[in-house]
Amino acid sequence: MAVVVALSLSILAGLGLAVVYARGGQAQLEGMLLALSLLGIGVGLVIWAKQFLPNEEAEEARKPLESDPQDAAAFTAELERGEEAIGSRRLLLGLITGGLGALGLALVFPIRSLGPRPGRGLFQTGMADGRRLVTAEKEPVRLEDVPVDGLLTVWPEGHEEEADSSTLLIRVGDESLFREPVVLPWTVGPVVAYSKLCTHTGCPVGLYQAEEHLLLCPCHQSTFEVLAGARPVFGPATRALPQLPLGVDDQGFLVAKGDFEGPVSAGFWDRSR
Amino acid sequence: MSKRPSRIARTGSWLDSRLGLARVARTSLRKVFPDHWSFLLGEVALYSFVVLLLTGIYLTFFFKPSQAETVYHGSYAALDGVTMTRAYRSAVELSFDVRAGLVMRQMHHWAAIVFVAAMVVHLARVFFTGAFRRPRELNWMVGVTLLLLGIGNGFTGYSLLDDQLSGTGLRIAYSIVLSIPLIGTWITSLLFGGEFPGPDIIERFYVLHILLVPAIIIGMLALHLTMVVHQKHTQFRGPGRREDNVVGERIWPTYAVKASGLFFLTTGILAALGGLAQINPIWIYGPFEPSEVSAASQPDWYIGWLEGALRVMPAWELRAFGFELPNPFFAGVLLPSLTFGLLYLWPFLEARRTGDRDVHHLLDRPRDKPMRTALGVATIAFYAVLFFAGGSDVLATEFHLSFNQLTWSLRVALFLVPILAGLVAHRLCRDLAARDAEPPHDPPDPPARGHDRDAAASSDVESALVLDEPEEELEPVAWPPPASVLRSGPPSAKPLPP
Amino acid sequence: MTTRPWAWAAASVVTLAVALGPLVGSGAHAEERLVPAAAEPEEAGRQLFVTGCSSCHGLDGRGTDRGPTLENSGAASAYYYLSTGRMPLADDTQPTRKEPSYSAEEIDQLTAYVASLGDGPPLPEVDPSHGDLATGGVLYRANCAGCHSAAGVGGALSYGGYAPSISKSEPEQIAAAVRVGPGEMPVFGPEAFDDEELESLVRYVRFLQDAPTPGGGRLGGAGAIPEGFVGWLFGMAGCIAATVWIGAKRAGRGTA
Repeated sequence: MAVVVALSLSILAGLGLAVVYARGGQAQLEGMLLALSLLGIGVGLVIWAKQFLPNEEAEEARKPLESDPQDAAAFTAELERGEEAIGSRRLLLGLITGGLGALGLALVFPIRSLGPRPGRGLFQTGMADGRRLVTAEKEPVRLEDVPVDGLLTVWPEGHEEEADSSTLLIRVGDESLFREPVVLPWTVGPVVAYSKLCTHTGCPVGLYQAEEHLLLCPCHQSTFEVLAGARPVFGPATRALPQLPLGVDDQGFLVAKGDFEGPVSAGFWDRSR
Repeated sequence: MSKRPSRIARTGSWLDSRLGLARVARTSLRKVFPDHWSFLLGEVALYSFVVLLLTGIYLTFFFKPSQAETVYHGSYAALDGVTMTRAYRSAVELSFDVRAGLVMRQMHHWAAIVFVAAMVVHLARVFFTGAFRRPRELNWMVGVTLLLLGIGNGFTGYSLLDDQLSGTGLRIAYSIVLSIPLIGTWITSLLFGGEFPGPDIIERFYVLHILLVPAIIIGMLALHLTMVVHQKHTQFRGPGRREDNVVGERIWPTYAVKASGLFFLTTGILAALGGLAQINPIWIYGPFEPSEVSAASQPDWYIGWLEGALRVMPAWELRAFGFELPNPFFAGVLLPSLTFGLLYLWPFLEARRTGDRDVHHLLDRPRDKPMRTALGVATIAFYAVLFFAGGSDVLATEFHLSFNQLTWSLRVALFLVPILAGLVAHRLCRDLAARDAEPPHDPPDPPARGHDRDAAASSDVESALVLDEPEEELEPVAWPPPASVLRSGPPSAKPLPP
Repeated sequence: MTTRPWAWAAASVVTLAVALGPLVGSGAHAEERLVPAAAEPEEAGRQLFVTGCSSCHGLDGRGTDRGPTLENSGAASAYYYLSTGRMPLADDTQPTRKEPSYSAEEIDQLTAYVASLGDGPPLPEVDPSHGDLATGGVLYRANCAGCHSAAGVGGALSYGGYAPSISKSEPEQIAAAVRVGPGEMPVFGPEAFDDEELESLVRYVRFLQDAPTPGGGRLGGAGAIPEGFVGWLFGMAGCIAATVWIGAKRAGRGTA
């Protein structure tokens, strides 16, 4: 009885699914009808098996997995026979090993085509002396454009596509708030610039707590103290966010005065080299 | 019934006249499979994988794995005119403009979540019952490989869509690989085709995700199942069950029908989730921009423990001679290597410790191996704490806690909770085993439920099993989190809003 | 539809809130305040200020050791804090959104008074219908999602702070918050959003508050964590239930 109900329901749901689909589709109805159709069949099959199919317990002998000693001995003897035959030609064996090794080495070179050599790219960004800092809309920025307790994400002009160059401009209430290890000559009044990429795993440190002057990374909660050179005060990050030497050009726009003080983003083994 | 052979029988003999497999085939049909519900958990994983294949094929018809830039003009107005990659655009179009596309995409994602979950539950069952012992060490290792591949393919899968969340995940993965000494910089450059985000990663992950890894998974699955068939399934102790026999149900017809039923039930549950529970709404996350990030950026649950490990790791790293071992290495490289290394070696480690190198086809009850059970429970507790750490910011928001205090509490809990859980499990095993050793009371005391139920059933040993240990302990995602985890920090300064 | 408890829970909470909202509101306003009918808004606001705010912000609004000066807070700030119920402060922690303590008229009067104290930002006038939805989305994800999350559910900040959910914000409140940067929130000036962009942003935030969920239940909107729980508690648990049911044959009939 239950089987009939379940399977009939399944048929109805299947037909309903066809109708819903033909009429343009609706995700919830599709999912529900598909589920009903499948669950109906499933329930039907299980009840059928439980009620109408033989359910008696069966027994099967389990033979040992190991082969009998004679077969095993014959097999190992065969292995040894071949091994001796091969092993008697030491030189050839050595040459073949050498050939295969060379081939393996040769196969490394196509892999090399996958990407460029990791050169100085990791140590450099698009920041350079005199490059203007521009917003996402590629507009250059003046000191006044950054409101007190505000922040602005900027890129070096002409290098907006370089993912490692995104920089935070932060303006604090007064420049006297800055303390060690902020490099004061690299600030412009109350505005300081840090790399936006967390030194832990490179997530953008987009969360600025203006009252506490903290930058927070939402990925692993590393927290950086803006007034003190963005040194890490909580979480797994071990290094401060690199500071950008900031200046003003003759038209009053904010510019970089060079690259960041060190490699940005996550660490790597020869970062300090 | 007519005397004429049935259609299915005629098909069988047609095949036999060409392949000559009647004998082997009959043996297979008459194969006995021990019946216990926990032996079906692996099948749930298998069926989820079948759903992954079927829905995945549908998705490949519409998804375009390309990082070329394009502008979206489609039916989702909130992204109209936004610049994005073709990969992200095709994923949005697949969700809004392809009929049944969204259901298929969501079913695919839910199936991935259940696939890995089922593998973990299955692995726990095998662990707690000692099914990995000789002669099944190899199959244990194949199973661990499948888990590793499943997790890896889950990650490559949700990284393809090029939404903000997937890009954030890729960024973290990039930094983890980058932290490997000597070769990290090379591997990332080759894998991503340059510095992050790199021009090639989505195309490459696509090939891995839809071709290479699934092919290896299928091969491994075939190997896994062949070994089960060849070695015959383990069984619980019980009347008439010995090391030299298998007692259960014949494959044909009852077991086959039941297994098909389970396939449809699993698929049905995934379809219901796919239609009714929204997962990974990429149109809300937006296209990936390397300079942006969203709060509550979390990976899928099976990566959650790694995310948690990255979070609770103190700000340590090694520096010497101008070189360094960056912080993400410990949580991102060392921990998973140790995890899977120990998993692979476990059957041999245990055999070395106990000196038990015999062949076993009868399973242990978890209570009879208190050390192993305690260790397993402690391990699960360890990863459960890490999993909660992976969601520390969401938990902090949800329960108005300070994530700083929560992180510190979790750092402590990471060591305390596994020890406590292990001790409790050990004690529980001893108590249960001691109870079993007593002659059965008659009649069993009705008001005392719970463990007495097991004691009452101790004559039918198999039914007492597993209902308690692995299942209950296996809920690393119990909600709300264990009180001990949440309370160990100082109370929050933040009262609930009125 | 047991598979979407989050949706149902959310729905019932919303229903409850809608049902109880007026009750709570009317309770708070039951006490009529006596305001001279013909008084200038500024003067009326000053009187309200003296009664309700001066104990912390001082009789002249220039602050005391218990509360900051409001000299340059401006209309935007006053309106934001009063209309979201964050002021007056319930206790001395982070101000939380609640039912406003003052009526709309009283808020206008207080706002006018605070604006007269100094040179603060005016209340931005926004008409979200002028904004462009997709532009708003781009701006939201670039500037707001970091703290408030892409779905707008809010997020954790350091030391117990949090960025609130934006699910109830009114257009003027959103605009005021952007320009003022209340509490930990940074200030976003015209370089981040000009007035047109601000309207787009407000439009997108309003859209997010009632964003369509074509995929079914929203599961709280907090991403992979709730998704994982649903996957385990419904997907995996459902499959385990299926295996137990299938395997339960002999337990029912008893084994030989």
